[in-house]
This record gives sequence, structure tokens and C-alpha cells, in this order.
Amino acid sequence: MFLNVDKHNKNKMAIKDDSGYKLTYGDVCLTIEEFDALNLPRSVIFCLCENCAGSLIGYMAFENNKQVPLLLGAGLDEGLRSNLESMYTPSYYWVPERKAEEIKGEKVFSAYGYVLLKTEYEPYPLNDKLSMLLTTSGSTGSPKLVRHKYGNLEANAENVAKVFSWRPDEEVGICDLPMNYTMGLNVINSHLVVGATVLMVKANLMDPDFWEFIKVNGGTSFCGVPFSYEVMRRVGFDKMDLPKLYTLAEGGGKLTDKMFKWIATYAKENGKRFCATFGTSETSARMAFLDPELALQKIGSIGKAIPNGELFLLDEAEGEDGTVTGELGYRGPNVTMGYALNKDDLQKDDEFCGEYHTGDIAKRDADGFYFIIGRKGRFLKLFGLRVSLDETERILKTQYPNVDFCCTGDDKKMNIFITDAGLKDEIIPFISGKTNLHNSAFRVFVIDEIPRNDYGKVKFAELEVLAGK
Amino acid sequence: MDNLKKYNDVFCRVLNVNESVLNENFTFKAVPQWDSVAHLSLISELEDEFDVLFESDDILHYGSYLNGIEILKRYGVEF
Repeated sequence: MFLNVDKHNKNKMAIKDDSGYKLTYGDVCLTIEEFDALNLPRSVIFCLCENCAGSLIGYMAFENNKQVPLLLGAGLDEGLRSNLESMYTPSYYWVPERKAEEIKGEKVFSAYGYVLLKTEYEPYPLNDKLSMLLTTSGSTGSPKLVRHKYGNLEANAENVAKVFSWRPDEEVGICDLPMNYTMGLNVINSHLVVGATVLMVKANLMDPDFWEFIKVNGGTSFCGVPFSYEVMRRVGFDKMDLPKLYTLAEGGGKLTDKMFKWIATYAKENGKRFCATFGTSETSARMAFLDPELALQKIGSIGKAIPNGELFLLDEAEGEDGTVTGELGYRGPNVTMGYALNKDDLQKDDEFCGEYHTGDIAKRDADGFYFIIGRKGRFLKLFGLRVSLDETERILKTQYPNVDFCCTGDDKKMNIFITDAGLKDEIIPFISGKTNLHNSAFRVFVIDEIPRNDYGKVKFAELEVLAGK
Repeated sequence: MDNLKKYNDVFCRVLNVNESVLNENFTFKAVPQWDSVAHLSLISELEDEFDVLFESDDILHYGSYLNGIEILKRYGVEF
């Protein structure tokens, strides 16, 4: 079965959530068999995910039974969801019970607070290798999807479990990141593949219930994005009594060197370990891992490639002290097939062929350790989530067709340049509502016109001056 | 401007709500958009507005609109 769930001890706890559901590996296998008995056709299924047992078991069953789930956040804006629906015409939806009213469909099955709804859309041909879909920019509901193939999730789960040396009998993984986010999904898969327990937590890090839940249930391994660690520092995580918590992993964006050092030092002084990692949706999560023993010597590094993977640099430029800089590339069994921009693309074969160029600019030091230093593409990481600037501009232009927009920014803030002063006050509430990103992530600048060169290309350098960089 | 007005303004701005909804039912658990991102933003805006520095325990157990007033009173802010 998917992730070898049928090979583990049937009585061992597999999934526990903070809504009160508990599933042993025996329960997991049984539920997957119940799904199998429905004889669903091979088709696209939209999963509106929350961090709970029902959401997770549906995804596992669809993977096992060869349907093709697209994992979306349950909080996704209604308009963005229906746009995705009309583009990818899913034959089924797997949704929380309370959402069943909103979505048109006939109820065909339910388990652990989730229901399966059959839509009016007929299944259509999908490439035989296609196993799962994720969005490239979740909160903007980007129709650009990452096409995963069979073996991607499994390979990354196994190689990540190996590099972290998960102890099946003791390990209790904490899934605090959304399961529809590649790094969150990897926390789940890498624990289940070895037969450990996963805690699915809806409560957020600012909620005392979160800390109570992981303490009572003996969570041992945590993974956060840089923003998670900012929150943890403010809530006094370093003073909490969490004796079972052993691994603190980070991924999904670059920590400041100061924060990196703070966590690494905390881990060292408290008999825990800090593991910096690096990954993308296109590589079914992780590509690189820094040995926790070296965290304080290689501050800010993403380490080296995970087992069975290979990191390399494109367009290399040599620097001082034996360092080399270039675009970061990766080869390995977790590299996905490519993108889809519409449903016809779901018939496409493997286009990446095991090699992915990340768009991140990295430096490799003389000892072979990699450091991310910049980015080529037009996207930001706000609160660890990839947000496409082009996609945000598209959403704004759809809403306000007669206004010119341009979006820029860094991983702290997005700058939105507009040419209509009358909109100044409504832009932030609008885009914050659409993307589910807090309004503190956006700044608006009213300008007379968007500076462009003779070819119509935006002069970003001028905008950066205006943004006060 | 009195402190209650300043306090309410921060809530309205950060959580994008109307002042009329700020009452005993306005709690961290009950308000969907009051998530960890909004909470961190709220805390730092209140710190700036009232020139205080919250203890980590007060941040974690902030809980509600009303409880926040009690916490600020302990830091010497008069309401």
C-alpha cells in the first residue's frame, strides 16, 4: 500500500488530530480498503485540506487507489476555487462536512468528518504516471499546478526519513504546516513511511492549545517556516517545558542569520537538534539538509543534498575562498514531471526528467555546503508561502480592469504600485481577502504611471527606489 | 485620543473589522481572521502604540479583546 502502511504494526497509532480523531495503522488500511471498494474512476479529485485525520486519510486513499488529488487549502477563496474547478473539472471533491453544502455534488462516502462528493464532471484522460497535483502559489489559487508522478512522494518520504534517522517506535511527527503545502505533506509522509505517529494540528502556534496538544501527545519532531520561528520566539518557546521534543526542522524560506543562530544555540544547549532543510513543490518537498552537528559552524546554510539526490550549480561564477555561485539545480527521484496550465496538460509526459532548476541563486563554499543568496523568478515567500507576483497582478487586473498595477517586494512585504489614488484604501483589504494573507504583508504606493521601457517592460529598479529600498 | 480609542483602532486596522464588533465575544478562538499572523501583527502594533513590551506568556494567553485590556492595565496603561 501507499507508504507501506500495511507493513507496519496494525495496533500502532498512525494519525491523531486535535479534533479528537485517532487512527491506528490497522484503521488506516481498513479505511483505504473502504475507499477502494467504491471503485472510483481514475479522475481528478479536489481535496479541500485541513490538518485533520479525515483530510489526510482521503489523500492517502486516493494515492493508493490511483485517483489524482489536487490538494487545496479549505480556506481558499470561493472565487479562486470555482475558477480552478472550471479549469480542471474534478469528478469528485473531498471536503470537511461543513463545506458539503457549499459545493454542488452528490454525497457518496464519508469518514472522519470528511465527505466525498460526486460532481457532474466526467473523468477525462490523465497521463498514466500522474499521481498528485499541488498549486505553485497556493494562496493566489494559481491555476499553474505541479504534476507529481508515482514514486515522487514515496522517494522523498524515504530519503528524508533516512536523513533525519526517524526512530519508528519513538517518533511523533508534528504537522503544523498545512498538509496542502509541500513541506507539511512531507512531514506526514516521512513519518508514516517508517511507521511512526503523526499529529495533525489545526490550532496555530499562537494558541496555547497547540502547545498543550503536542506536549500531551509527546510530539518529538517539529518543522516550521521562518515565520513559525518568529512566532515561537515571541511566545517564549525556549522557556517551555517540552521534554519529548527533539527535532526542530526548518524549511520553506530563509531564516535570518540571527534567527538561525538563536535556534541552533537553543537546540545545542537543550539537548535537541536543529535541522535546516531546503525544498520546493517541484521536488516533492526536500532536496537539501544540514547536519545538525554543523549548524553553528555553517550558519545560514541549507547543507548538502539528501540521499539519492544531487545538487549542482548552473552558470557557475567563481568567487573568493573557493566559493562558487550560480542557479541551484537538483537531480533525484523526487523531481516531479513538470507543470500544468490547463487540463490538457494533465496528459503530458515527464518534462523535467529528474532534473529541476530552482530559480534560486546559491553559493557553494569550499567544503561543499550550499547557501541560498537570491532568487531569479518573480515570486515572494510571505509567511513561508510562495506568492506569485504575476498571479497577484492578474487578480488585481481582473477586479480593476481600468487600472495599471505592478507588484514587487521581498520576503517581508509585497509592494503594490497603483495608478488610481481612489483605490488606495480598498486594495489591501481586497487582496488580503483574496489571498488569505494578512494585510500587514502588503504596502500600497500610488504613482502617476508604471515606469516602462520602450519595449513595455516594467523598470523594476525605478519602482524599488520608490518603495524606499 | 483616549487609550480605549487607540486600542480599538489597532484592532480595527489589524483585523479589518468595524469597531461595533469589539465586545466580550471578540476572542482569539471565535474570530477566523485572528490567526497567528494577525496576532503577531496585533502584538507589535499594540507595543508600538502603548510603548510596552509584552511578556511571552501574555502573548500566548492574550485570548480576547477584553482580556487584552486587563493585560495592558498590568503594564500601566490606563483605560
